[in-house]
Amino acid sequence: MNELVSVPSKKMGRFRTRRTINKLMLGLISAVSLSIFSLILALLYTIVRKGLPDIDVHFLVGLPEEIDAGGGIGPFLWNSLYILFLSLFLSLPIGIGAGIFLAEYAPRTRSMEWVRGAIESLASVPSIVFGLFGYALFVEYFQIGVTILGAAVTLALLNLPVLARVTEEAVTAVPSTWREASFALGATKTQTILKTVLPAAARGIVTGVSLVACRAFGESAIILLVGGTSASGEMWDFHLLSEGATLPVHLWYIQSEALVADAQEIAQKTSALLVVIVLLLSFAIRFPLWLTQRKKPR
Amino acid sequence: MEKLSPDWTDATNLLTARRQSRWAAKYAADRFFRFLCLGSIIFLGAVLGAIVLFVSETGFLVFRDVSLWEFFFSSRWDPEHGKYGAAVFIAGTLYLTLVTLLIATPISICVAVFIAEIAPPWLRQWLRTLLDLLVGIPSIVYGYLGATLLIPWIREHTGAPVGDGFLAAAIVLSIMILPTITRITDDALCAVPNEWREANYALGGTTFQMIVRVVLPAAKSGIAAAVILGMARAIGETMAVVMVIGNVAQFGFDLVTPTSVLTSHIVMQILNVDFQSTTNHALYMMAFLLLLISISLIMAIRRLRLKGGQ
Amino acid sequence: MKRTTLWKRMAAAVLSSALLIGAAFTTQHRADAAEVSGKIVIAGSTALLPLTQQAAKEFKKSHPKVKIVVSGSSSIAGPQSVAKGVATIGACDWDATRAVGGFPAYKGLKAYKIAKIPFAVIVNKNNSVDNLSVQQIQDIYEGKITNWKQVGGKDEEIVVINRAKGSGTRVNFEDKIMDGHAIKTSGDNYKEVQKSGDMVNAVSSNPNAIGFVDLAYVKGGIKAVSINGVKATTANAASGKYVFYGYGYLLTKGEAKGADKAFINYILSKKFQNGSLKKLKFIPVK
Repeated sequence: MNELVSVPSKKMGRFRTRRTINKLMLGLISAVSLSIFSLILALLYTIVRKGLPDIDVHFLVGLPEEIDAGGGIGPFLWNSLYILFLSLFLSLPIGIGAGIFLAEYAPRTRSMEWVRGAIESLASVPSIVFGLFGYALFVEYFQIGVTILGAAVTLALLNLPVLARVTEEAVTAVPSTWREASFALGATKTQTILKTVLPAAARGIVTGVSLVACRAFGESAIILLVGGTSASGEMWDFHLLSEGATLPVHLWYIQSEALVADAQEIAQKTSALLVVIVLLLSFAIRFPLWLTQRKKPR
Repeated sequence: MEKLSPDWTDATNLLTARRQSRWAAKYAADRFFRFLCLGSIIFLGAVLGAIVLFVSETGFLVFRDVSLWEFFFSSRWDPEHGKYGAAVFIAGTLYLTLVTLLIATPISICVAVFIAEIAPPWLRQWLRTLLDLLVGIPSIVYGYLGATLLIPWIREHTGAPVGDGFLAAAIVLSIMILPTITRITDDALCAVPNEWREANYALGGTTFQMIVRVVLPAAKSGIAAAVILGMARAIGETMAVVMVIGNVAQFGFDLVTPTSVLTSHIVMQILNVDFQSTTNHALYMMAFLLLLISISLIMAIRRLRLKGGQ
Repeated sequence: MKRTTLWKRMAAAVLSSALLIGAAFTTQHRADAAEVSGKIVIAGSTALLPLTQQAAKEFKKSHPKVKIVVSGSSSIAGPQSVAKGVATIGACDWDATRAVGGFPAYKGLKAYKIAKIPFAVIVNKNNSVDNLSVQQIQDIYEGKITNWKQVGGKDEEIVVINRAKGSGTRVNFEDKIMDGHAIKTSGDNYKEVQKSGDMVNAVSSNPNAIGFVDLAYVKGGIKAVSINGVKATTANAASGKYVFYGYGYLLTKGEAKGADKAFINYILSKKFQNGSLKKLKFIPVK
């Protein structure tokens, strides 16, 4: 007991300084973070406040107007969801498959390192480059004009490198002991990947998918070139070769050229709607994961 | 008793045969899955190769009319008079990325540390969801906010007549890439084993010491990946940048002079030029440069990360 | 076990979506077969997009069998797409069969003048300057006049805003106002914007800015200045007293035929010219 009490005062002083520094720095980090978050909330509030209260069912499913006020955004909203679904449908299996290959099968050689680097850097290619590629492919080469199909496929191409990269990262992070345990039980590599590695990496992959989905949903440069600036003018149009303008492109059009009387209100409502949908989207993608993880005792 | 034994062997044989066919099926499935993954990566490679080829093929046509020296080192961009110097845009892209990272990286890591190490668990999930929400907000919305809220603010506080320029663009970009860097850093921090944290406390370390000496070094490679992805987004962003940068072909290193970067210049001009013109080829060359810049930056950082990992 | 159910559910979702897409493909084939001869594809100017979209909407009602695809990216895309065969009608803010504004003449196209477009030189609503001569506007854009007090306003630096090279509005501005004088495209008081809406935002958010835009966009935080003492109104532009106007054109490959011809005739009809076209603040050509 005595020894504890008679700690030299110099050491005691250092202990106090350490504690003060700790409190100060943690306080600083918290303050910076909280102010960033309040800034973000303020931005979101600015966007949502102006538009959200005025949104009604007619606006959501109604057809757009060029002259008179009171038009809706129905076809654009529908196109947005339809194109997002198609692009994810095309890019998820390929992107995740490529990511698994990079993490599990690819040899750690110099050439594979180059492939990895190339994919990583292609994840950063400006979407306008993909847009030009899509334009050259679908509008000029296949001559099908600006379409939902072209927009969806081009968006899928944009998503691929990001998906592959995120999957690779998540799969690599799974401890190798888990794989060894699975092999020891007699599982094949495929079984190990599907039943042990992927579920363990699910959290990272789902985060990636959610990022990709939101990015695709908000993308405008590609849709502008490959999907066009108008929609077919009817609701629930499943036709793959209809014009494929989406909500962000419509927002761009409304802000940049539209002459319709209530352009300002439409722009505000559309921005608010975009934010709300992105929120719902990231919830929807994570929901199954939360359900399964909640039940696990951990 | 003796009659039973053949039955037994039959049964055993049958069992082995079944087991064998199941084994065969299992391994066929195994190979098939491997084949699928290989197919995916080949498809991915082919598509990306095609894009690179398409962009570079059109881009290199510019050197029929413009010398290498002029394109890379002249700052005079004036297609009407046959001047195609792209130095302004190249330098601008590098500079803007640097300024953006200087603003965004410390803040993002700070926020990630807050979420992963300091915030109470009930708050954590909410903050993460909020960040994910931000990633998805269309860049047009950010650009619009930047043009209507940020630029008048900059004009008021710096006395610049226009307000557009690198400062506005870097702030908008920082807000845009903050969620990306933060979320991935957050994941990397969470992957650090809890035992290490406990060991720190057992040795009498404070929380701050644990963060600086244990958690951050352990998550180094994850953080590097986060910064790379953030940087990638910053280099490639167009629609928001074009609304706040001013779009003038002149250097703007003082941060508040209207200027231009590769992406904003491409998107400003690409729809307005003749397909066969030298201007169009020059724009594709810029797109190809963008590709080269991001490839070389990322290769450099990968190398750093490899060294750090060893 | 819970994992397996998750995978099963995902598989079910994938399967049902595949069926859905299949269904979409089959319906689409039928639709194409019925209307293959009557398809109009319009590409080009975004400034004319409100006009073409409104016309397409009305035209579809009277010609339910014709399918119209309308999109807009830029003026030059109009003649280019038609020349390439990607579109059947190209919309352009100038007569692309002649060489204008640094762009080549497109041979083999036929241009139809469909509307007179009045433009306006705009300043912030709070700017005290109401009138500028053509000479003054030229000097401002050339960088010779840099302060509002030189043209009767406050002692503030003028912020010059221009559209991107190749914009139809800029081509008309250089043609009708600048008259061969080169715009000074540098300096810390100069910037370029992409589209008309961006121009409106830029001028309404900066009290010292000057810009130019279609007259139809003038409302809210901006005002049009009189040019040479003539007020910027559709009436003055129609009579020719107001000098800053241009024409909108639709272009076809050779003489317009079939559905394209019917569509152009509809736009040129009295009903459309005096109805929707006027409502959109364009001026009838006939």
